[in-house]
Order: sequence, then C-alpha cells, then structure tokens
Amino acid sequence: MTMKQTPVLEGAFVTEPEPALVGSRCRTCGTVAFPAGFTCPDPRCSQKDVRPSVLARTGRLASWTTVHFPPPPPFVAPDPFVPITVVEVDFPSEGIQVVGPLAGTSADRLRMGMAMETVVEPYYSDGEGEVIGWKFRPAEEGTRP
Amino acid sequence: MSDVIVAGVGLHPWGKFPDKSWVEMGAEVALEAVADAGIGWTDVEAMVSGAMQWGGSTGMRSGNTISAALGETGIPIANINNACASGGSLMRAAYAMITSGMHDSVLVIGTDKSPKGYFPSVPVLADEPRPPVDMVRWQVGVPNPAYWALEMRKRMEAHGSTEEHLAQVKVKNSGHGSLNPYARYRKPFTLEQVLASPMVCDPLRLLEICATSDGAAAVLLVSGRRARRLGVKPLVKVAACSLASGEFGDPTIRIPLLSATSDAAATAPLLSESRLAAHMAYEQAGLGPEDMDFVELPDNSSWHELQYLETMGFCGEGEAERLLDEGVTTLGGELPVCPSGGFSSFGEATMAQGILQIVEVTWQLRGTAGARQVEGARKAITEVYGAQANNSACILTT
Repeated sequence: MTMKQTPVLEGAFVTEPEPALVGSRCRTCGTVAFPAGFTCPDPRCSQKDVRPSVLARTGRLASWTTVHFPPPPPFVAPDPFVPITVVEVDFPSEGIQVVGPLAGTSADRLRMGMAMETVVEPYYSDGEGEVIGWKFRPAEEGTRP
Repeated sequence: MSDVIVAGVGLHPWGKFPDKSWVEMGAEVALEAVADAGIGWTDVEAMVSGAMQWGGSTGMRSGNTISAALGETGIPIANINNACASGGSLMRAAYAMITSGMHDSVLVIGTDKSPKGYFPSVPVLADEPRPPVDMVRWQVGVPNPAYWALEMRKRMEAHGSTEEHLAQVKVKNSGHGSLNPYARYRKPFTLEQVLASPMVCDPLRLLEICATSDGAAAVLLVSGRRARRLGVKPLVKVAACSLASGEFGDPTIRIPLLSATSDAAATAPLLSESRLAAHMAYEQAGLGPEDMDFVELPDNSSWHELQYLETMGFCGEGEAERLLDEGVTTLGGELPVCPSGGFSSFGEATMAQGILQIVEVTWQLRGTAGARQVEGARKAITEVYGAQANNSACILTT
C-alpha cells in the first residue's frame, strides 16, 4: 500500500523528471524568489510579472548547522530526538541560496563549497501519511536519476 | 526640532516570574520611570508600548492594558511589534512625537514574558490558501539560533573565527553581567565552562545564545522645554533614533525565511538593516563610531556581537575577533561592549530589551551604574536586532 504523500508546501518543488525546487522568476529582470512570490522582489523592477520556474538541481554548500534540541511544533520530532542537520545551498546560476534538511550523509562528511543536489524525501509521517519536501544531499553520492 | 531628553527610567529585574503578571511588571516600571522624572502618571501625554505576542490579544494591546491598570487618562496609546527590535522602534516612535512638537512627554514601555526554549511560531489562520513561510520553516526544522549558526559558520570560513572566540564573548559579557543587580544571570563563566556547555546549533552552544526571559523596562522621554521646567539633571539627550529594514540583495537568511540572495550575487551587505540603522543614527547625531565611549549591541548570540561590531562601524570585516582578543570591548577597555551584561546576562524579553539598553545607557551617562560604570561615559550607541530584518539604533549623549 502506498502512503498518502502531502507536500510541505504546494508548488515548491517537482519530482519529475528530476527532483528540483520551484521558485518564481521575474519575466523582466530574471530575479528568482523561493518560495515563489507574487511579485518581483527587486524594488528597482517595475514589471511585476513573475511565473513559476524550476530551479537548477545542483548548487554549492554555503553553510550548515546541526540542531541538537528538537524544534517546537509544527516540527514533528521523533522520540527520542535525533539531531537534524540544516544546510544552506547556494545556486549561483539562480542568484539565490536556500535552506533545507540534509539528506544522504551526516554533517561530519560536509565541507564548504561541495556540490549539493536537490532531492524530495519524506519529512515526517503523521497518522494519515507522509509529509514530503525538499532536502539537499552531496551530489557525488548516490546515483543521479 | 525639539530636543529629546531622557527624564526618567524604570527597570524590573529580569528572570522568570511565574507569580507576577506582565501587566504588573509593566505598571511597576511605568510608575518608576515617571517618578524618576519627578512627574505623575497623569502628566504623561502619550504612550507607546510593545505589542506582546505571547500575551494574546490583551498582550498585543499591552499599552491599553497597563493604562487601564494605572487608571485611564485618555492619552494616545500606540502598540508596536517589531520583534526583538520593538524597543528601538518604540523609542523612535516616541522620539518622533517629541521632535515634531506633537507632545512634551511620552512614556515608552516594554513588558514581556517569554516561552522557554526556542521561540515558537504564533498561531495563524488555518484556512489561508498557502501556509505562511513561518510554518514551513518549522516543518523543515530551522529554529532561530540555526539562522545565526549558518551565518557564523560562514564567518569562520571567511575570517578564521574559532569556537573560542564565540565562548570568549560569553566570558566577557557574563563578567559584565555579574556586576549588574538587574541581570538574570550573574555568574561569571570561564572559557572552559562555556566550551563545555551543550551544543544547540553548532557552532553555537547553550551559553552563547541568549535565554528567553521575563522582563520590563520603561523610559520617559520629554522635550527640551519640559526637561528645563522639570529641572532634569544631568541632561541625557537622545541625539539620534533610527529604524531600518533590510535591503533587497542582502545575503543574510532572515528569520523566518527559507532563502536569500546568493553570496556571489549580493548587491547589499550582510545585515544591511543594521548598517543602515547605525549609519542613519550617526548622521542624525553628527557623530561617528570613533566618538562613542561604549556600546550596547544585540548580543542575541555570540555571533551577533562579533558581526554587529562591524555593521555598526567599529571595525572592518573580520576584525571583531581582534578587538575581543585585545580586551578592547571589555569593561576598562577602550570601547566596552554591553557593560550591562547584554542579553547574554538578561535573556530576551523581546518587547523590553531595546528599552533595557536605553535604561542602562542613561544610568551610565548619569554616572550611576555602580560597579559596571564606564569611566567618563558621555556618548553611547545602542542597537537592537529584530527578526525579518528590523534594526533600530539610538545615540545618547550628555
């Protein structure tokens, strides 16, 4: 039986053809926002016509931290709590850096600037199914779809 | 433009007060501030108060709640929330009311009781078409100190800052706080003790992140004209009061957002709101960082203290660690930073912490700060850091 899967934020990522973040891109100046915005966030841009845009899959590790105490709800913490690592990945081609959970490895294997790729994985399960969202893992590891 | 003078201050000791309400704490500091100015509650012309989210709907209208407790006089009351920068934002609102000539006396109040641990999210409407980003960031699992930790790791990479530097900030501020009877934490810590405290969001440890406290502070600001009539001495003048928000193109990931401009594509500096607020304040006062005798900055974490020394113009990028190492920022040094003990010793009471800084600076400029007195203090700057890019700076002189 397949569990029901609910995205943590509707429209913020795709899984096909490859997992990737979806932001918004200004049709006039190209500025990218994540999550998608209603308008271009650049105050110098008079054109506010933005549309959803699938972002580059691969970026560089800009920073990370391991959270050793459980965040409050709506974070769903396993009991006993297992520390989670949050990474910041810079997508230079998009002009944006994004925060998300680390996947596929542990914090001690991370090094600044390493290539990271976007994946979509479960965040947690509740009674009815899984909440899924974006995570980032080292691009060298695992097989690329 | 009328001068703005600090005529009276009131401060409640900070800690956890399960048997005392925030209303009672707020009313106490209000009466203390007006009495310190030599006036009565009924002489207050206007009031600004921190809109305290943890207090529910009456907390969001804390000014009206306190006014009702003290006896309603019909004065204008504005309740403001700018996260941890609320105190500075309240100061600026009151400052504007006096410089404009609208009022001759304005009471500035912040009173707050905080939940323990990470600040949680505030409930939102369940039927919004999209969940607010604050809900999503919690599902991802990013508490406030994680945002600071992400910036600190970048700083370590760029400037070679160490875990010892982070610990040393706490050692210094706990030493200052040990001299302050109003501080919640009065135990001086050693480097070894700080480094032995549990990791919260690495590289930030428990003792390097400010606690969440109950606290209250009040300031009575008056016009120069009213100050002369009241015979206020010494005249502690608010020489500047600024407020700034973030600039597009700043690479800082702001609480509670999930993205920021790429470091390589940044067109604004890190913590642009802090640089802007400090710059505006210096310009307004006609003074520069070199004129300041001491600083009260937002040491929400040890990272903040290092970063704010730079954004406030006291040193270049990556140089704050040297000022710390050389003892420049310790009481007795050339530029004491957080002689009060800072938020490190008080903990955050978000509505009140910016006003706490003004109370401390006032006592220092009056020369009544006791064991933590900065010798010959004549000019000082304060700055507060608020979530979602809010910063306010005040310069006080005598």
